[in-house]
Amino acid sequence: MQKHILVVDDEAPIRDLLGSFLTRKGYRVTTVASALEAEDAAGKDIPDLVITDLQLENSDGLEMIDRLKAILPETPMMLLTGVLFDPKVVRETLKKKVSCYVEKTAPLSRILEAVQGLVGR
Amino acid sequence: MDKTIRRILVFFLLVIGVFVAVAVVSVRNINRAVVGSDWVNHTHSVILETEALRSALYLGDGAAHTFVVTGDVADRRAGVEALSDVSEHLEIMAALTRNEPAQRQLVAQIDSLVNARAAFIHGVLAARQAGNLGAVRTMLADDAGQPAIKEIERAIGRLKDDELGLLTERDTASFIQAEMTRWTVWTGVILDFLLLAGAGWLIRDDIAARRAAAITLQVANSQLEAKVRERTAELASANEMLTAENLERSWANQGLEHQLHYNQLIINSINDLVLVLTKATNISRVNSAVVHVTGFEPHELINRPFSSFAKLTLEAGAPIGDPVAQSMNDGRDLRNQAAVVADRLGRGIPVRIALFPLRDRDKVVGGVVILQVIRPEEKLEHQI
Repeated sequence: MQKHILVVDDEAPIRDLLGSFLTRKGYRVTTVASALEAEDAAGKDIPDLVITDLQLENSDGLEMIDRLKAILPETPMMLLTGVLFDPKVVRETLKKKVSCYVEKTAPLSRILEAVQGLVGR
Repeated sequence: MDKTIRRILVFFLLVIGVFVAVAVVSVRNINRAVVGSDWVNHTHSVILETEALRSALYLGDGAAHTFVVTGDVADRRAGVEALSDVSEHLEIMAALTRNEPAQRQLVAQIDSLVNARAAFIHGVLAARQAGNLGAVRTMLADDAGQPAIKEIERAIGRLKDDELGLLTERDTASFIQAEMTRWTVWTGVILDFLLLAGAGWLIRDDIAARRAAAITLQVANSQLEAKVRERTAELASANEMLTAENLERSWANQGLEHQLHYNQLIINSINDLVLVLTKATNISRVNSAVVHVTGFEPHELINRPFSSFAKLTLEAGAPIGDPVAQSMNDGRDLRNQAAVVADRLGRGIPVRIALFPLRDRDKVVGGVVILQVIRPEEKLEHQI
């Protein structure tokens, strides 16, 4: 059965590219642009993984992750952002919130590795 | 049309030719046989008429002799009737032999002899009827041994021999024609059989060749299909790789654009004037505060020497020279230097300048200049 991934990003090109790539790799992908839409989509169709940007309209990804954690405690969350964090900061401060942190400048192959590490192939 | 089909057609044309030749020869021989059969019938008719003539003649002759003895009218009538039959048979014989000169001549001879004999019989009958027995006796005495009858017999015998000879010749000719027809038919049948066998062999050979060609074609098609499948798989794989590469490239571009945009946002959010200089102190980038404060558009400032944009106020005792260029060369920061920037309208704007050299692998490749506009109250404070 295909794994369901929910992609949250306010930039349409990012959503489209990531959705297209993950679909080609055999995942079922739902893309949304805002935290509100993400919570709505997650309620209707429970994802196996959430990939979210940090900066979202009317919210930020970490806040949204907090809210999603409340309804999807077992679902891994991946933070995908262009805001560059110090890896040490990520390890120490974000590890309780997110399962994985990947920079947007990382190649898709690395993103795929991270996805496969979280939900399998 | 290929060579084999042409050969087969030639074979069938030959078969038809042989068949037509056999038919023509056979029909011609049958016609000859019919003609020969007519001639045989004709010959038999002549022989029969000859025999009938002789019988009638003997009958007439006998009746005449009987009448001479009996004087009975019935015998005389029988004699006259027999002579009448003789005439009829002679006419028929003449008609039957009119197209054959040799026989016609013999018939004419017989006719002459028979007529003479008929005249003699008529004479005997007439003399007897008249009661002239003496004349009858004389006539019969002259006919002693019946030389005329013998002569007629010889003539009839010659005619019969001739006709029988002709009959033999025609039988021989008929036999030869029948043999020829038989041989022609059998030769034609054998030839046709051989030609058909040859055509059959060619057809079998052609079918075998076509089957071999079909198998070869099928094998070639299978190989081609396999190659096409292989090539299609290769193309699909290459296409998959290209699509993946395109996605990766698009993703990288998107990431860079995002990063650039984010950096630009950061720089533009600063209210101070931020300029990036090259190692030669030419302006290479400005933030939106520069545009906002000076009224210059970025393209009017880019590649322009920084010294033409901002004039540093040198304090007393300071070394003569361009402190910005000096700082860049030395690779050290320049902080809190007073300067004046001329805006687009030529008005002087007092600022404080700070320069931070940009280092890349321990080499100074440029610098970041931050200009803080000194507000009038700050200026006054400074002066106090």
